[in-house]
Amino acid sequence: MDSYGDYDPLIIGGKRLSSRFFLGTGRFPSPAVMQMALDASAAEVITFAVRRVNLDFAQDDSILQHIGGRELTYLPNTSGANNADEAVRIARLARAAGLGDWIKVEISASTRTLLPDPLETLQATERLAAEGFVVLSYTSDDPVGCKRLEEAGAAAVMPGGSPIGSGLGILNPYNIGLIVEEAGVPIIVDAGIGSAVDAVQAMELGAAGILVNTPVAKAGDPVAMAHAMRLAVEAGRMAYRAGRIPKRRYASASSEEAGVSVPMKAQTMAANSTTAEGSR
Amino acid sequence: MSSKWKDFRLYVITGVNYHPGRSLMTVMEQTLQGGADIIQLRAKDMTKREVLAQAYALRKLTRHYDVPLIINDHIDIALAVDADGVHLGQDDLPLAEARRILGADRIIGISTHSIEQALRAERDGADYIGVGPVFPTGTKPGRQAVTTSYVQEAAQRIRIPFVAIGGITTSNVNEVLAAGAARICAVSAIVGSDDPAHECRSFLQAIHASDQSKPGQVDLKQIRVNGRAEQTSARHVTELVQQLGLEGKRIVVELNGQILARDAWGEAEIENGATLEMVHFVGGG
Repeated sequence: MDSYGDYDPLIIGGKRLSSRFFLGTGRFPSPAVMQMALDASAAEVITFAVRRVNLDFAQDDSILQHIGGRELTYLPNTSGANNADEAVRIARLARAAGLGDWIKVEISASTRTLLPDPLETLQATERLAAEGFVVLSYTSDDPVGCKRLEEAGAAAVMPGGSPIGSGLGILNPYNIGLIVEEAGVPIIVDAGIGSAVDAVQAMELGAAGILVNTPVAKAGDPVAMAHAMRLAVEAGRMAYRAGRIPKRRYASASSEEAGVSVPMKAQTMAANSTTAEGSR
Repeated sequence: MSSKWKDFRLYVITGVNYHPGRSLMTVMEQTLQGGADIIQLRAKDMTKREVLAQAYALRKLTRHYDVPLIINDHIDIALAVDADGVHLGQDDLPLAEARRILGADRIIGISTHSIEQALRAERDGADYIGVGPVFPTGTKPGRQAVTTSYVQEAAQRIRIPFVAIGGITTSNVNEVLAAGAARICAVSAIVGSDDPAHECRSFLQAIHASDQSKPGQVDLKQIRVNGRAEQTSARHVTELVQQLGLEGKRIVVELNGQILARDAWGEAEIENGATLEMVHFVGGG
């Protein structure tokens, strides 16, 4: 089913993507594992962060040297920003690297929960969209907030299922469902996914894609988990498009009741009783 | 090959016998992560086919890290795997022959054990020389140590890059640096350690600390880079980036709050009191 995505592309900022699985590049055990996981994921969009160069060890090098030679869309994030001004500055720095104009707005208000600051996120989205960035805004799973980000110019909105790296899954599937229903731009579930089951759930709720980092990078076998997530995203998406059955309270047999085969003993008894009746 | 390789500070040579139970690739990747900026494959007790296989694997690895790969002795293997150069001993193929085979662009390094050998290698067109063994070493048993006095002599008289080698560890490296070495090579101290990356960082820390204690040049400007006070003689951003060893890396520079396009670095003058931010991309979600 590798070609499946070709018939159901995801389009963000005019770019056509056949993979709906966005992969983060942080916290992998080694660059080699990260690359293998990237291959296994078939992801076309990868995220990373902007940080100061370590002047003592110039060789503690950029993540980019490990992913060369692949056709990828780079999605730098603004992590570390505490307000819109800082996020805008980081976005401009990222763009100056010359790797495109996609930016994931990520503004955390609390170091403990890393939950996004919706007001600053909205402001940053508006300003960056006006500067010509393709803005993907990471935010809470609040349907109204997500709609506001879309109106502010976000090319995609990325509600979290639960806090970053928590692996708690989608805590409010009802909200994610509502967000998807009302959205005019792709909804990417970002943050909180713990395992393949959460990826399937996000996709069956109608998400256009998911962004995952920690559950792959910190899995027992990151490469296998990357593959599992990829399959989960594909499975979830296909199931969503296929249309699931409505839920019902009681059983509904999957075969006709007529024509049930009956054991010999029961048949003999039935025949006897018929004879008895007939001779009466 | 551009001349960027000449900026190397920490030269690491393979030594599989120092890390039984750990693969060569694992250990060498750790040294690269720790900041080794030139790698030599030395495998004296292996068949040529084994060396070739390891050379291919190391070539792939060093390309990822954009670090030059040097092959000890085997010119044919260096050519086969497209290594950046070879390293030859005093008894190997003469430099002129090696140069004829390898061409002008590949790096040729020569081991030297006296200032006479060093001067000859320089004159004959070596790209760099090894100076050692500074201390007695298990890697070259039986060879008389040349001590730091030869390092001092080399520092005064040799113009091509020279790298001090032989028995150097983090506990005696300062002596070697004080004698005038700017580049250090280690084998057992690094690849034989439980944490090669950490060991490399310790060496580099000593090397960078020694840079700062050496007599400064005139007209040093006080600047701040990434929040840290630095002194520099750099006239513009391009020079500063070179001085920091960040040349050729995909970094973004902000000077006094203004993001600079890369082609504006050469005109962006650095004045006393300048504040710079240099950022790059790291793993993230």
